[in-house]
Formats: sequence, structure tokens, C-alpha cells
Amino acid sequence: MTRFVKALAVIAAVFILFIACKGPVESTQLLVNTDNCTGCGECMEVCPYNAIEIIEGDAVIDPSLCHFCYRCVEECPEGAIY
Amino acid sequence: MRISIFLFVLLLPALALAVSVDGWMNVQTGGDSLSPQMGRLDLGGLLKGGNWSLVVHQRFSHEDSTGIVPRILNSYSRTDIDFLIEAGPVSINPDVCWTVDIGDKKPEIVLPGEAGIAYRDGFIRPGLGIEADVSEEIHLFARGLYWNRDLKQEDDYDLAWTETRLIGGVTWDSPWGTSLTVAGLNHKTSSDFIDYEATWSRMDVRVAVQPQSLPVNMFVSGDVTYSAYDGSDFLDHDIADRLTSRVRLMQMVIPSVSVNATFESVIDFDDGITRSACTSAESRIVYRFMRSRDITSAIVVFGKLSRSSIRTERAGVFSRINLYRGLSFLFDAEAHVTPTSVTGAGPDRKRYVFGPGFEYQFGNTARIWGIIEQERTNLEKNQNWWRFRAGLEFYPGYFNI
Repeated sequence: MTRFVKALAVIAAVFILFIACKGPVESTQLLVNTDNCTGCGECMEVCPYNAIEIIEGDAVIDPSLCHFCYRCVEECPEGAIY
Repeated sequence: MRISIFLFVLLLPALALAVSVDGWMNVQTGGDSLSPQMGRLDLGGLLKGGNWSLVVHQRFSHEDSTGIVPRILNSYSRTDIDFLIEAGPVSINPDVCWTVDIGDKKPEIVLPGEAGIAYRDGFIRPGLGIEADVSEEIHLFARGLYWNRDLKQEDDYDLAWTETRLIGGVTWDSPWGTSLTVAGLNHKTSSDFIDYEATWSRMDVRVAVQPQSLPVNMFVSGDVTYSAYDGSDFLDHDIADRLTSRVRLMQMVIPSVSVNATFESVIDFDDGITRSACTSAESRIVYRFMRSRDITSAIVVFGKLSRSSIRTERAGVFSRINLYRGLSFLFDAEAHVTPTSVTGAGPDRKRYVFGPGFEYQFGNTARIWGIIEQERTNLEKNQNWWRFRAGLEFYPGYFNI
């Protein structure tokens, strides 16, 4: 049990270090973390491209309309869009 | 008319049975020196019978509609009416949602295809969902949504902007704590006035795992989703296929301390090129104390990192310390880094928010809170401002008729 927790802690530390050192990469879509999204709609309100809608309590980004202006990322109170 | 009478007669036996009524209200206000009057009111109600339920949710909001400085505030009303009927293994879920932008200055929408600017007035969105349990393990679902958006150009021409989304799929819950979902989605956007039409579709295959035999007080779940897209983005490039994997861990170390961690990795398959599109990690440690009181005190420490085409970082602490009966002291401190669209603020925006507050809970019926925060942020230059946030949540409970 203790070994398992220690192993998880080591994996987590390596993973976090890996992410922290990594620079921005190319990406074709923004990601909504539905675990964190509360469906408050603030992203939808600030999107100037009509690309976000709240469906069944989660923000959903239309990949054909999103222009990567990142206003939703900046506005999201939960940090659920990245 | 005949259809309405038929539906009424069909629903009458269900409506005549015992009904329980539930309701809630949530008011939040918050303002700072930039915009002192922002706020939101949520009202909700639930009527529930033996095999049906009706949820009505009404929101009035006055909030920032641009995400930039100087802010432009907009007021809007959003109404959701959600009806659910269950008939044996089948459930039918018609719903309708509409918004009305009621501010003096309508929010601006940048139209695709360099068609200029339009002004948003709201939308109406009816939907219909059908779900069926074919067996204990197999579950079918389908949903259709249709948006009719009220977007107008400066000269008041309606853009006739509509969207249609169709979703359907099947989930198989295996007896070994895993589930397999295969789902398809098709989304069509069109506006006759600007001669715009875009259709994209997605096919998802998702495997979710939740191991059943784990050490006591440990919870682990994971899922992997492969999404194959057919369609193009705003630059007319094909949307890349995407493999998303996520692992969540929760461990109660001792009864008063629990640790949550989530790791996420996304890989894009873009025209023969495979690349890492996003990695993120999130952790949360919760320490609960004075647990014998009605309101448990807690300190939550959290942190989050993500790297995709942008970087986001977030870390902070939130605490609630019970002082006397329903009265608690609140404190939050948070730092976050996000990209910004504020002119002259640089590619990243760093924000530091901290402040104390108080909360009073009236049993399970109501909660009132207020918190004063200071935000330090680097917009065009480093700026500090104070803000006040407060809220009232009211839940009178349910009763039977």
C-alpha cells in the first residue's frame, strides 16, 4: 500500500516536472475539462465567434468556429479550458 | 391542436399522481472598481411525479461580455425547461432553452468568412433526447438540438443563423468495471444571409475503467477516447483526429486528509503527423478539521498545470474555518497564469487574488456569504484593485402535493 502511494507520488512528480518544462505545442483545438467545468456560461458570453454553447451543463466548443482568441481561457473561473 | 389534446390526454394519468415540488434560488453579486454592478440570479424549480419530471431554470445575469478592458457589460436572461418521461426502459427528454440579450449595447459577434460584425439578440434551442436500456449492460442514446439564433447586422438584417446537432451512440457497461461507448455527432451551421454553411462530424470510441478491487479509501478511474473528425476549422484546415486519455486518483491518507490528482494527455493525428497536443496535471489536498461541529472546517490547497498551444498555471488555497454555529471565516488566495487578449498586456496574464470573508449557514436552508478580495494583475501595466463578492443561496426544501 505504502509502496503503491510512493510509486504514484514519484510518477506524479515526474509528470508534473515534464509538463512544467515543456513549452507550448501545436494544437488544433482547445480542450474543455468537463470534470472542472461548472456550466456557468462565462466563456459563452465572452466568445466573439459564437463558438461556445452550454450543453447538458458543460461548455462545448465548436471546432469549426473557434478562432483561438483565448478569451474563454482567460475568463473561465475554474481554469477548465486550455 | 389535435396533437396537443392527444398529448394532454396521454400525460393526464401521470400528472394526476402524487407530485413533489422542489425549488431553489441563488443570488450572486460581485463588483470592482472597473465594473461595480455585476451579478447573477438563478431560480429553479422541479416538479416530480412517478415517472416524469419537469425542471425549470431561470437565470438573469449582468456580466462582462468581452473579456477585455475596458469591459462591456451585458444583461441577459436564460430560461431552460426540461421535461423527462420514463416509460419502462425508455426515457424521452424534450427540452427547450432560450436566451434574450437585454442590455442596451448588444454583444458583437465576428462572423465567419470575413462577413463582418453582427449583434447578438439571443436564441431559442429546442431539443429532444431519447435513451433506452436494451439490457442491464447496453444503453442506447440519441439527441437532437436545433438553434435558431437572433443575430442581426447593423442595418437590422437578420442573418437567419441556425445550427443543428445530432448525437447518437451506445454504451456497454461490462461486469469488470469497464465501459465502452461508441458515439457519433454531426453539427451543421448555416446562415443564408451571408451564404455560410459548415458541417463537421465526429466519431468517438471511449473506454472507461474503474477498478473495483483497490485498497481501502482509494479511488482510481481512467478513460481513453479516440475522436475521429470530419470537417474543417476556420482556416479551412482539416480538424485533426484526437486521442484523449485521463487518469483520476483519490486517496484518503488519514480520515481528515484526502488527496486528488488528475493527469491528462492529448495526442493529435493531423494529416499523417502525430504530435502531443496537450498535457495537464492537477492536484488537490483537502484537510478537514473540527469535524464534530455542524459545519466542518476545511483547508483546500490546489495546483494545476497545462501545456497545449498555450500555457495555463493555477495554484491556490481556500479555507473555511467555523467560528460559532453557522458562522465561518473564509479566506482564499490564488495565482493564475493564462494567455490574454488584453491589448498591450503581453502574451501571458498573471493574476494574484487574495482576501478574507465571512459566511453564515442556516442549516441546509440558506447560506449567505461575502468576501473582499484584492486582485493584482498585469494588464497594460501592473494594476491592483479591490473587489467585493457576495451571495445568497436559498433552498426551502421539497414537499409533496
